[in-house]
Amino acid sequence: MLSLLVLIPFAGALLLAFWPGRPAEGRMRKVTLVVLGLQLLWSLVVLLRFDPASSGLQLQEARPWVASLGLSYSLGVDGLSMPLVLINAVLTLVSAICTRDISQRPRVYFALLLVISGAVNGAFLATNLLLFFLFYELELIPLWALISIWGGVNKAYAATKFLIFTAVSGMLILGAFLGLALLSGSVDFSLTPVTGERLAIGSQLVLLVALLVGFGIKVPLFPFHNWLPDAHTQASTPVSVLLAGVLLKLGTYGLLRFGLGLFPEAWALLAPGLAIWAAVSVLFGSLAAIAQKDMKRMVAYSSVGHMGYILLAAAAATPVSMLGAVFQMVSHGLISALLFLLVGIVYRKTGTRDLTVLHGLLNPEKGLPLTGSLMILGVMASAGMPGMAGFISEFQVFRGSIGAYPLATLMCMVGSGLTAVYFLLLVNRAFFGRLAITPAVDPVAHGRLDVRLAPVAWRETIPAMGLAIGVVAIGLLPAGLGQLSEAATTAMARLPALATALNAGGLG
Amino acid sequence: MPIIPAELVRSGGMPSAEALEARLLAGETLLADTPVHLIEVVDVLESYGEVLDAYSINLIYQAERQFLLPFPIFKYFDGDTNPARIWRHLNHDRINFEYAEYCMKAMLWHGTGGLDAYLDSPAFAAGCAAIIRRKTRRDPMLAVLHPLFPGFLIELIRTAATTHALGQFWRVMSDLFLDLARSEAEGRVTSIEAVVEFIKDGLVAAAANPITYAVEVDGERLWVLPPEAGLTFLVDVAVPYVEAVFLRGTPFLGTVSFNAQAQQISPDQAKFAYGALYADPLPTMGAGIPPSLLMQDMYRHLPERLHGLYRERSRGEGDVRVKICMSFQKSMFCVTNAAIRGTFPAALASQDPAEQAANRAYAAAWAGRLAAARTDCLD
Repeated sequence: MLSLLVLIPFAGALLLAFWPGRPAEGRMRKVTLVVLGLQLLWSLVVLLRFDPASSGLQLQEARPWVASLGLSYSLGVDGLSMPLVLINAVLTLVSAICTRDISQRPRVYFALLLVISGAVNGAFLATNLLLFFLFYELELIPLWALISIWGGVNKAYAATKFLIFTAVSGMLILGAFLGLALLSGSVDFSLTPVTGERLAIGSQLVLLVALLVGFGIKVPLFPFHNWLPDAHTQASTPVSVLLAGVLLKLGTYGLLRFGLGLFPEAWALLAPGLAIWAAVSVLFGSLAAIAQKDMKRMVAYSSVGHMGYILLAAAAATPVSMLGAVFQMVSHGLISALLFLLVGIVYRKTGTRDLTVLHGLLNPEKGLPLTGSLMILGVMASAGMPGMAGFISEFQVFRGSIGAYPLATLMCMVGSGLTAVYFLLLVNRAFFGRLAITPAVDPVAHGRLDVRLAPVAWRETIPAMGLAIGVVAIGLLPAGLGQLSEAATTAMARLPALATALNAGGLG
Repeated sequence: MPIIPAELVRSGGMPSAEALEARLLAGETLLADTPVHLIEVVDVLESYGEVLDAYSINLIYQAERQFLLPFPIFKYFDGDTNPARIWRHLNHDRINFEYAEYCMKAMLWHGTGGLDAYLDSPAFAAGCAAIIRRKTRRDPMLAVLHPLFPGFLIELIRTAATTHALGQFWRVMSDLFLDLARSEAEGRVTSIEAVVEFIKDGLVAAAANPITYAVEVDGERLWVLPPEAGLTFLVDVAVPYVEAVFLRGTPFLGTVSFNAQAQQISPDQAKFAYGALYADPLPTMGAGIPPSLLMQDMYRHLPERLHGLYRERSRGEGDVRVKICMSFQKSMFCVTNAAIRGTFPAALASQDPAEQAANRAYAAAWAGRLAAARTDCLD
């Protein structure tokens, strides 16, 4: 059942790779869309078979692979991974849809896209640590290629930086997993939480810190965020959608599943520090976003800020905050994908993302009014406006965390306020005022320019409209997603307390 | 700094005041004489003529039939209030008569010329007193209102007078523009020069038309603008209209960003430069702003030839109203050009130094004002 979620995209990639002859223009894209449509369909089938009331792993599959290494092919899904699998299917489909004018090597491009989607599904579903690592690493090279082949002017720099950072992240994660086997003396790479009886707390702390840094790079959290703005700026729009919407979630998923899930005791010890780290990351991301002049960099830095909420929620580890973390992963996936899509449209039409030259794009007839309207919706959602996905997730994160870490939560709330600041700056500069895409050197001449932007076709806006509908739908009807994840997140939230209590001599 | 592709932005040349003055004195047209300009100007003026016809009929209807009505709910219906018409109105399948009112209010507010002077004269006040006396006899609401706010009804009558005068002005202009389109179709007008000359002749021919206005109260006809006032078409209505609508205008929110408290809007109305010749066509179709209303109305009557031309350019149907606005601005430069020609103090060919100096001063005054206008559309 779950294997198909991995197999469909991989088989699709193989199909593209071995497609006979020189395929007609657009054929590769159509095949990819069919494959991704199947993947989404199958994800929905899995969703139907999924029992939200159960907190444990479901629909499990397990085959031994290399038993001596402890590597087994074992998959399972729970309330934490189910929404992420869905988001992966939706956003990969969106990024394939919005890849229209790809002139060079479409075969490789779409095959890589499918490999990423399959690997991400594998990582979300893996219940064996080594298997997770394999899938986690598998996604790196295709993404590196997507940036370095189809990227912008500085693509080589950005792609290499991305590769170095995430390779270090991978090494730390692998090191932690192997260290666990080494220190505990068993090759059990299952998802069983590590208790004090099995491993001394000092060793647990070391391994957890390695994981925190490893996943912290991927999320990314300050000060390991450095690769993200460059990668986004150089990546093409569909790749940015995938990167922000799906791949960053591997980091947060890893923090929750392996940081909190494997080392609940050590996590409880580090949690106060993690909360402060989250707050610093949120504030740094937001303040850095304010200073940006490139729309895409601004959205990228906003990701740094918004991912911090998830660390805060995980540090607090209350049922509400954990549910908020899942909501934040889903809503950030949708919102950031939406924002990157829209920035991509602006860039394609105007040839620039520079906030010092873009003005008045909301102009009803000559500008990009629908794109601008969706952008306003997207930034409002990102800033946590009620009625949209961002509000639900931020409210839950803050509500769930304020009891445990009031100061860090308050600092994150300030960060949430700053989101409104930088996104209003963006909207005000680029979308309000008189339409222009030139620097205002001579105000009189500038005020007389006739701007001739190409119109945005409906088909270009449809993916963004779909995401916008999703953002509003989750904002208005959050219960569905809540039910899907609540059992699993509540169980996860109990882990640190449970572990500490066990260690202290039972539950009394 | 990013490199912006040149085809995405265009900036027209802006002739200096001296260049404009030279053109006016040489009898050249302000707008460059090109075949495309000719189509734009003639066709836009044709659709404008159709719209002005509707405006004119409605303004005159309002002034005569909705006179001093406290709640003129059906003022845009020209007396036709059957449900189908009301439904079309609510569904916005209609002419935006609000635009005509904007123009009327601009004239009333800027208040230049003979009409405005008459509205403040004792003769007008006496006429108003007679009308109000009559009117309050049968209308208890007005009878209560008038002693409480003695200036109110008089101001309403001033508004009605301006409304009627504008209606009469547009009657002439509508016929003139439709005639122009016919002449062009028949091959009698083949250049921008001929367009300007045609409009000038039309204005000059109507120059001395009397502007009068009477209302019927209780079956008795009472003069608001009597023939004795001696108001005429060109100097008392046309010239104030050009001043108020073409030149000064008002800074509508949505077209101009300003901070009024910082006096970014001049406290001196004479210094206003927000009229049709200065307006930025780009914000057209911003919600509710007067340019949007007029362009929407003209779009309903757009001749197929011009529509086809627009469809071939930039966004085609997508930005058609902005393109109408740009063509409209060009045509308004032609009308202004004609008005200037028709009102030179002396013949341009005159050899008399005194007359030449007077013409030069007149042209310089106009050129000075036009140099700051949207002359980038002229080339």
